[in-house]
Amino acid sequence: MTDFSSALGVAASGMRSQADRIRHVSENIANADTPGYRRKIVSFEAMRGTEAPLGAVQPGRVALDRSALPEVFDPGHPMADETGHYLGSNVDLVVELADAREAQRSYEANLRVFDQVRQMSSSLSDLLRR
Amino acid sequence: MFDRLEIFALASARAQHAAARQAVVAQNIANSDTPGYRAQDVSDFAETWRALQSRAQEAGDHIPLRSIDAGTPASPNGNTVSLELEMLRGIEAQRAHSRALQIYGSAMSILRTSIGR
Repeated sequence: MTDFSSALGVAASGMRSQADRIRHVSENIANADTPGYRRKIVSFEAMRGTEAPLGAVQPGRVALDRSALPEVFDPGHPMADETGHYLGSNVDLVVELADAREAQRSYEANLRVFDQVRQMSSSLSDLLRR
Repeated sequence: MFDRLEIFALASARAQHAAARQAVVAQNIANSDTPGYRAQDVSDFAETWRALQSRAQEAGDHIPLRSIDAGTPASPNGNTVSLELEMLRGIEAQRAHSRALQIYGSAMSILRTSIGR
């Protein structure tokens, strides 16, 4: 029974982490046209703490993408310098969409495991009912 | 004759093994995007059962399990989890678990029939 509860906890931690990741993706996409916005990157790590079930995962610290911001030519823009350029954001929509799709896929895998474990534990308790 | 019913011990050890394996699958899938994580698996049931037999009278509710590296190739970030393989392992574990429980249940109903209930 402890295997089941730890498996449920681990699958839930995976779903939480993927949900956090997709939230950062949506922040990036929402700010794709914000001047000077740097893309946020989140990486996963093993969950720490005494309460955490063995093998659980948590999102790590948010890092900012250090790649250069593109210079956009728009002399009419309020933030444009004397050459008519301003710094855009380094969000690449294609990369964000790929990341969102990967997060969705991993989330579904975790959900599937959660469902399997739930079925297994309910068939175990069915033994008592006979 | 009925002092040690092997079939119940066998079925329950098989179910425990499947549950432990499912827990490992849950760990692997939760860590499928953790950089540097290596996928794990547990030793197969034959080995577990032999180990369980050798320490026959010893008390303890935990079955002896050895965790092994799954040995799948690593992706560029050092992670070796393959979601497809883990799905397969999860389903295998689920099927083994339900099979073990069915055997346990039908052995139980044979016992019930034999005492006339």
